[in-house]
Amino acid sequence: MWTDPSRRQFLWQLGGGLGGVALTSMLSRDGLLAAEPVNPLAAKPPHFAPKAKAVIQIFCPGGLSHVDTWDYKPELERQHGQPFDAELGKQTFAGVAGNYAKSFWPFRQHGECGRWISDLFPGLARHVDEIAFIHSMQSKSALHGPAMFMMNSGFIRPGFPAMGSWVTYGLGSANENLPAFVVLPDPRGLPPGGVVNWGAGFLPAVHQGTVLETATGKAPFADLFPAQPVPANAERDGRDFLQKLNAAHAAARADSLLDARIASYELAARLQLSAPEAVDISAESDAMRALYTLEDADAGPFGRQCLLARRLVERGVRFVQIFCGAENTGSKKIRPNWDSHEDIVRDHGYWGRVLDTGASALLTDLRERGLLDSTLVICTSEFGRQPFMQGGQKGRDHNPGAFTAWLAGGGVKGGVGYGASDELGFKAELHPTYCYDLHATALHLLGLDHEKLSYYQNGIQRRLTDVHGEVIRELLA
Amino acid sequence: MRLIIATFLTLALSGVAAELPPPAARAVDFLKDIEPIFARNCLKCHGADKQKGGYRLDRKATALTGGDNSAPNIVPGKSAESPLIHFVAGLDPDMKMPSKGDPLTAEQIGLLRAWIDQGAPWPENVTGNDPLDWWSLKPSARTAPANAATDGVNPIDTFIQVQLAGKGLAPSPEADARTLCRRLYFDLIGLPPTPEEVDAFVKDSSRAAYKALVDKLLASPHYGERWARHWLDIAHYADTHGFERDQRRDNAWRFRDWVIRALNADKPYNEFLREQIAGDALRPADPEAVIATGFLAAGPWDFVGQSETPSPVLKRLARADDLDDMVTQVMSAACGMTVNCARCHDHKLDPIPQREYFALCAVFAGVKRGERDVDAAEVRRRLDEKTRLQREMGALQVQLARMENHGLDLADIVGGGDGNGSGIKGAGVHVETGKRQDGALPRLTPKANVFVPVDGDFIDGVVLPNGEDAAGVPISTTGLKVRGIPKTGGEAWDAVRNGPINPQGTTKIGDVDFAAAGHSLLGLHANAAITFDLAPMRTALKSGTLRFRATVGYGGRPDPGETNADVRLFIDGEPAFVAERVGPKTGRLLVNLVLPESARFLTLMSTDGADGQIGFDQIFYGDPRISAAAPAPLTAAEKADIEPLKKRIEELGQQIKSLPEPAKVYAITTEQPPVVRVQHRGNPEDPRAEAAPGALSCVRGLGAQFGGNELTDAQRRIALAEWITAPANPLTRRVIVNRLWHHHFGAGLVDTPSDFGTGGGRPSHPELLDWLAEEFGARGWSLKAMHRLIVTSATYRQRSEAREAKAESIDGGNRLLWRMNPRRLDAESLRDAVLSVSGKLNGEMFGPGYRDFDYTEEYAPVYKYITPDRPELWRRSIYRFVVRTTPQQFMTALDCPNSANLTPARNITTTTLQSLALLNNDFMQKQAGYFAQRVEAESGGDVKAQGARAFALAFGRKPDAAELDSASALVKSHGLPQLCRMLLNTNEFVYVD
Repeated sequence: MWTDPSRRQFLWQLGGGLGGVALTSMLSRDGLLAAEPVNPLAAKPPHFAPKAKAVIQIFCPGGLSHVDTWDYKPELERQHGQPFDAELGKQTFAGVAGNYAKSFWPFRQHGECGRWISDLFPGLARHVDEIAFIHSMQSKSALHGPAMFMMNSGFIRPGFPAMGSWVTYGLGSANENLPAFVVLPDPRGLPPGGVVNWGAGFLPAVHQGTVLETATGKAPFADLFPAQPVPANAERDGRDFLQKLNAAHAAARADSLLDARIASYELAARLQLSAPEAVDISAESDAMRALYTLEDADAGPFGRQCLLARRLVERGVRFVQIFCGAENTGSKKIRPNWDSHEDIVRDHGYWGRVLDTGASALLTDLRERGLLDSTLVICTSEFGRQPFMQGGQKGRDHNPGAFTAWLAGGGVKGGVGYGASDELGFKAELHPTYCYDLHATALHLLGLDHEKLSYYQNGIQRRLTDVHGEVIRELLA
Repeated sequence: MRLIIATFLTLALSGVAAELPPPAARAVDFLKDIEPIFARNCLKCHGADKQKGGYRLDRKATALTGGDNSAPNIVPGKSAESPLIHFVAGLDPDMKMPSKGDPLTAEQIGLLRAWIDQGAPWPENVTGNDPLDWWSLKPSARTAPANAATDGVNPIDTFIQVQLAGKGLAPSPEADARTLCRRLYFDLIGLPPTPEEVDAFVKDSSRAAYKALVDKLLASPHYGERWARHWLDIAHYADTHGFERDQRRDNAWRFRDWVIRALNADKPYNEFLREQIAGDALRPADPEAVIATGFLAAGPWDFVGQSETPSPVLKRLARADDLDDMVTQVMSAACGMTVNCARCHDHKLDPIPQREYFALCAVFAGVKRGERDVDAAEVRRRLDEKTRLQREMGALQVQLARMENHGLDLADIVGGGDGNGSGIKGAGVHVETGKRQDGALPRLTPKANVFVPVDGDFIDGVVLPNGEDAAGVPISTTGLKVRGIPKTGGEAWDAVRNGPINPQGTTKIGDVDFAAAGHSLLGLHANAAITFDLAPMRTALKSGTLRFRATVGYGGRPDPGETNADVRLFIDGEPAFVAERVGPKTGRLLVNLVLPESARFLTLMSTDGADGQIGFDQIFYGDPRISAAAPAPLTAAEKADIEPLKKRIEELGQQIKSLPEPAKVYAITTEQPPVVRVQHRGNPEDPRAEAAPGALSCVRGLGAQFGGNELTDAQRRIALAEWITAPANPLTRRVIVNRLWHHHFGAGLVDTPSDFGTGGGRPSHPELLDWLAEEFGARGWSLKAMHRLIVTSATYRQRSEAREAKAESIDGGNRLLWRMNPRRLDAESLRDAVLSVSGKLNGEMFGPGYRDFDYTEEYAPVYKYITPDRPELWRRSIYRFVVRTTPQQFMTALDCPNSANLTPARNITTTTLQSLALLNNDFMQKQAGYFAQRVEAESGGDVKAQGARAFALAFGRKPDAAELDSASALVKSHGLPQLCRMLLNTNEFVYVD
């Protein structure tokens, strides 16, 4: 129970006492360390001056329907009820195409830019002048797993580093007392494809996403504290003993790897102090609790993830990924993510409110704290949904041919759109693009050249953008 | 497209020349005048890195022929007609080149025009690079070490020392005996030595004792467990498929065991490779050779993309990725060639054309990953044995059934059985063909009123009835007909089944579920009838008069609307039972008919209730049995027989049940390979020229083409196996000896162990590498011989301390090996060492992996890790059941790689989360507790003795006085487990000197 007051006291004692925390400096003063150890997450200079220092990516797994949300299609309203040419739909997942169906939520114009947003997102609609939309997104797979991997790592096969891993590999961490890449899965469970979505692939393990445990009564990160409680003084004396042994061992060998390992125990002690503080939202004001609707049974958990994301970014975490939805675990009353095959009103209705509440609160909060300019917020899904019904059902099938992603803050021009799907939202038509351009643009805003950020693996200098990617200049402020 | 361009040219030609800058009026030199223009203005998009529009301008072959749309872009002798000139001159508004940056000057265009007009001369080997002039592609030459004459000197040391001397460096002195002992144990078997083993070696660490220790460790079964891990990394082995639906591969472990056994047996490496690539083709009857091909299947497999999706486009893509994975794995593991870089285009760095990548795909085109029988002959033997037992049991069951008057189960008979339970549940009789039907059937429209005879003793035949025909409905082979039944829609659905119809709404009538154990169910969907032959039943039941009993019910869904069905029974064509408009509200219909001695046929008929609709017309018979109407009283002898008969039947049932399931392995299944085509830009939807099976032409002296598309799958893979293991292949032996070196020293002589191409590292000691490769061949491709050679070298036995300032400054990375590299234990060795030190290591070898997770069956199964705190979870890490998409986080924190990737070299990272895992993970804490228990048991209650024993177990040494004082103080204040926990976290425990 990390929230237990005695545990806190224990930590402060640990921090205040020797406990390994002060050991490195002591050792170095005594000439027992060969060199200042290298922290693999030490901040690294970007390739050029960045606009954004951190990223919060909201991922809506299952396939968020662009035609019911961000991508206004008047022609679809006219075609409503007309049959779809089945031959065009041969790559859809379930195979049977029904009739065209207009958005289940009416669209309206919003903001000074006058962009069209459906009534599913009243909160986000108020932020439309801060948001840049890419309406011509495509995926190379119509299957959840591969498409998730593609959106996260640029490849439909597993085993490639996630965008967050690349970013921390390129920039390191701005706070060595917290992990650089933090993932907040939906409290209902992991998204399709599981933990591979934030894996480091072939990059060193330090770059993988660290899952933030948000269940009450659990430490924020796995193994942050002993599984079986250890009294504070025992822990302090134990760590002192450990580091003394390590120091003597290292002194005889003069190897910086050994010093780095000594330092990692020091950093571990610091993480034990800073992580619980970072995720402790008890000090947040009532206004904040209301803004993120923490008490709402449905939208509250996601609101909490958004609030935590803001707290982490505030403390120097480089990349936070929030999942708004979990894996498909059989059709329950409401689908556990956006994968609305049978009933779009039921499932998008539910998840739309969840996303709208948390994400709009996040944008408001970031702006009010002056963090929005330095924080890039990305909202995406692995693919969109079809403009027609799935067979005779009330849902829509997967559509890898067109979907919408949006960016806000962090040097993004607000109130603009880039690219377009065709008049029905079936396929990307104007500036068709894949995740590569989104990734290249995000890296660019962070001061990284996506063609230079590479890592050798089995014969290839691998990149997040593979051999593709163009920065979408139209979205830059 | 060429046609369009030509038209454009003809029309525009007269005007074009006038608009172009004039050609330079001098002889141009390609190297001086032209190449710099290309380099500065064109190659960024049309060079080695990118080929926009499929056009590449840095090589003669492609520059003069290539491009997606306008090829050829350069027409020698005709600059005014060359699209390239039009583009750079801005004549084509849609294709102005360069697309970014300043346009070319008139002078530059003039030079290009002059060059083209002069015939576009392009000297060969412009860059001076012959791509085949690369060290790894040349035959390896056995160079004698410089002063090999010195007796007793390991030639490895000579090679190493020559290069050290060249830099003015000297090797480090030999490490102490304890260090050497620990180093050898971890390196060769992946486990720490016991304190007693260390002591014994410290007492006698002579050369002979060292050699004896090496031999002992190489002979240890743990050697295979250690080194199999390295090979499985290269094979990206795991026990699940990976991807979205990460299902289990419960029989993948046989391949893992095969690798362990093969290494322990020191199977020659060429044979080791041959069996993994083509074992099933070389020796189909040898189960071990079949299991070896698990190598080809070890990587991930996309169930949704390959099987579940109805989209042929997605299927082709998934299959292309699948083949890519196989080809990449084989060629990088065996030859260190990154052929996958040639999937979308010719290899950018190495001389591997795209078509050769697809030639390799053609080698594996007949191979699919999948479960298969390990031993086909054994499977047949088992099946024969099972059949024999079932027959014997069947005969006895008939006997018993007669004695106890169970009668015969008509459902079982429909399932192909003898009426006593030998039939197959779910099987049935096809209404149209009369044949056995296993899988579900859709709507059927056979010709109505045609009686179809059925093979077998008890069934006469089946028919689709329609009362429309005045001639009546035939219901027997003897020509009996029934009349007076209603007109039907003339359709049937599914088969007559031993079990529910597909899909059946309910199998219950009242409270009784007739699909449950102890009951039987005959499903008879309208419109169909089945006639049973009573004559053989009388013989079986030894009774003249028979009785038919059953409970008839409606099996459709509860709200079928207006639909309903009719139930009719006939004895010799005469109506014996009729129930019309049967539906969900009908309830239970009990049938109890006496079948007189004269009767020959009993017919069960379901019709559609005269509404012409068969939807949901699911009629079923619960416990349909025909028995003797008046069973003869049993004789005393018969009565006495009943119990032994039952016992024997039970015995036989047990025997059948305990027949072992035939061994399966997750390996490969094969078929005649389909034609493979080069996929333009790697796109499976854009197939071009056929690619016949073959290998790489850059390896000279070996035929790269295996033959045409008529080659069988077996021939293809055998050809590749032979190509890879041919003595003339310069890559294979170099790659494996370098891998051995990598694992012994922490870095290979080539530091990219799976990339021997131009993008990889160059050998630090090329002559040593070649010498090792040749020595390896000379020693019969024996891996153990090479281990022995390497670990007995003075180079290997050096100290690892980095105390030499000069050496540090000249060769800080220790490429020249002036010291041994200290090594952080990899994830598996670290976990195994913890278990070994705590005394809890479970030494059980082989078999299905241990599962340190709770498994939940779902669309995407859920693997939830638990604290491995039971003996069966304390086996060596090589036996861990590896889940691809849900990695074990504790192992991942220790740099255990993701099995989605081929891993020739592990990352070694030092991270905060790793230190936290070693400190706080439940497994570590529990093991620290067991470690403490062990120390206490082995050293008694004295705190100093405990400290000494704990150090001995963890480090193989005694603590010095200061260490012992600190340790004792810690134990006194906070207990022995806290000391043990900290020892497991020390650098000394985690690093091997």
